[in-house]
Amino acid sequence: MAVSRREPKGLNLVGQCWQWKLRYVPGSKGTMGLAIVGFFALMALLATWIVPYSPHQANFTAWQPPTWGHWLGTDDYGQDVLSQLIVGAQASLVVGVLAGLLSGLIGVTVGITAGYKGGATDEILMRLVDFLLVIPTLALMIVVSAFIPSSGQTTEIMVIGGLSWLWMARVVRSQVMSERRRGYVDAARVLGVSDREIMFREILPNVVPVIVANMTLIITVSILVQASLNFLGIGSPTAISWGSMLSLAFADNAIDQGAWWWTIPPGLCLTLLAYGFSLIGHAILQGYAQSREQ
Amino acid sequence: MRFWTLGPYFFKKLMFAIITVWLAITADFALPRLMGGNPALALASKTALGSPAVVKALERAFGLYHTSVLQQYGDFIVQMLHGNLGISYEYYPESVTQVVFSALPYTVGLVLSATVLSFLLGTLLGVVAAWHQGRRVDDWSVGVAFIFFAIPYFWLAMLLVYVFAFLLGWLPMGQALPVSVVPLPPLALGLGIIRHAVLPVASLVLATAASYLLIMRDNMLSVLAEDYMMLARAKGVPNRRLMFRYAARAALLPSFTQLMLSLGSVVGGALVTEVVFSYPGLGNLIYNAILNHDYPVIQGAFLILALSVISANFVADLLYPLLDPRVMLN
Repeated sequence: MAVSRREPKGLNLVGQCWQWKLRYVPGSKGTMGLAIVGFFALMALLATWIVPYSPHQANFTAWQPPTWGHWLGTDDYGQDVLSQLIVGAQASLVVGVLAGLLSGLIGVTVGITAGYKGGATDEILMRLVDFLLVIPTLALMIVVSAFIPSSGQTTEIMVIGGLSWLWMARVVRSQVMSERRRGYVDAARVLGVSDREIMFREILPNVVPVIVANMTLIITVSILVQASLNFLGIGSPTAISWGSMLSLAFADNAIDQGAWWWTIPPGLCLTLLAYGFSLIGHAILQGYAQSREQ
Repeated sequence: MRFWTLGPYFFKKLMFAIITVWLAITADFALPRLMGGNPALALASKTALGSPAVVKALERAFGLYHTSVLQQYGDFIVQMLHGNLGISYEYYPESVTQVVFSALPYTVGLVLSATVLSFLLGTLLGVVAAWHQGRRVDDWSVGVAFIFFAIPYFWLAMLLVYVFAFLLGWLPMGQALPVSVVPLPPLALGLGIIRHAVLPVASLVLATAASYLLIMRDNMLSVLAEDYMMLARAKGVPNRRLMFRYAARAALLPSFTQLMLSLGSVVGGALVTEVVFSYPGLGNLIYNAILNHDYPVIQGAFLILALSVISANFVADLLYPLLDPRVMLN
């Protein structure tokens, strides 16, 4: 007995990525997003080799505006701002991407389970999501981080990723509910395929674009949230990040000193990187919407 | 709409609010206990060389005496219902309740005015953008909205301080009240408060209006595709009337739901923004409490914050049937 399917069986991620890329990304804003993210990824990867000085080296004249020796000047400890900026890319990318993946994992699992199982499971899971949505998440993250004794990037990832999956769960659930009514799910069920296999091998591949798009949007938000936490002095105390640079700049009155070279670049990098991820996310969503209309 | 039809809807929303409140209280109780470590011990080792007497006293103040967790939980709720959230370390002998409630009005004022202004601005821009879909106005507003969406709240606040307070000197750099030796007349005081609130509110509005714009534009686009819009156009309804009376009104309903759901994130943004402006609200309070390991204040401030957001949502849920009677049907 032949089971009709719209998509090939299995998690053919590479094939599917290729499909959307061919159709929607070229020349669009998505490409710009990829370029921005690629630029910062390269910066993070090569940081050790391209920094002009060690980011912790503190024996230069403090409060220097940009010069040939220090393209972005120095801070009040006499540290090179450009070197810190380059190294700071690592923290944002690592924490943003891993927190995005973690919340993607939780959100997808909750969303698929709720959407496919329906009934009481759905009711309980979605009520939980509704309750958590009402509570101000950033405030909860601040409070949770304040109470966690150990602080480091792993903690940051757990806290941010563990509390950012709510929208993902909602979106995936509604997608799965519409997928569930399609013929291939009934066919698989008649054939006696287990629930878990239907959820993750049959339905999941069809909602991958939505998941990937939402994941990039979660990464966008995670990057900004991490920066906020670091700005408040919460999170990894040793790692250099754009948020912690801004925290120090603010605490040491860089604004009153007119040290724009210290306050503007980290924020600009944060904005650009977050913007890059959101462009990618929206390009994927747009492509998916168009493919659905066809 | 008959009044009695409100019954089940009201009951459902009330239950939701009550359970959310209970969850918030439980989370607030559980947080310091789940995270392991003994805050009393940690604090004592920082301030009193770990003196056992101090540890014991602190444990009592935290409600961490050596009883079962269940009993601690019961005590916590009973104390809370009496309005007792413990004693602040930093502001000793003031109680947490006093400290938190003196900061609350600033945050509420900030969040409410920013939310209203941002919703108006974003929604209006969204209507205009959707109306001119695919044209330059639309492309620009959406493009700019995406950029603003990606700007960290606190950095935007820092930029505004740098430009409008430091470079131009038009507005104060921080604080909420005008500094004066003699008590100010009410009018001057009011103006001073507004002057101090301009930059914090503006940074929140700029940072959040983008998402209202995008949401409203989406909703407008789906309304504009409806048959009744085509009919109205064919009838010769004037453009302005079409845009606001016909389309925007219908598109506003889903935006309102979004408004409520985004309240939590505006509150989060306000917390960080307050720190930039040394604005004496809950954000600043929590920030200082974290720096000083003032755990009871952190716990109390979070609880009051969560309760405020939950009650705001509850009120909005009650008002919603007035805007859209259809919700009563399901």
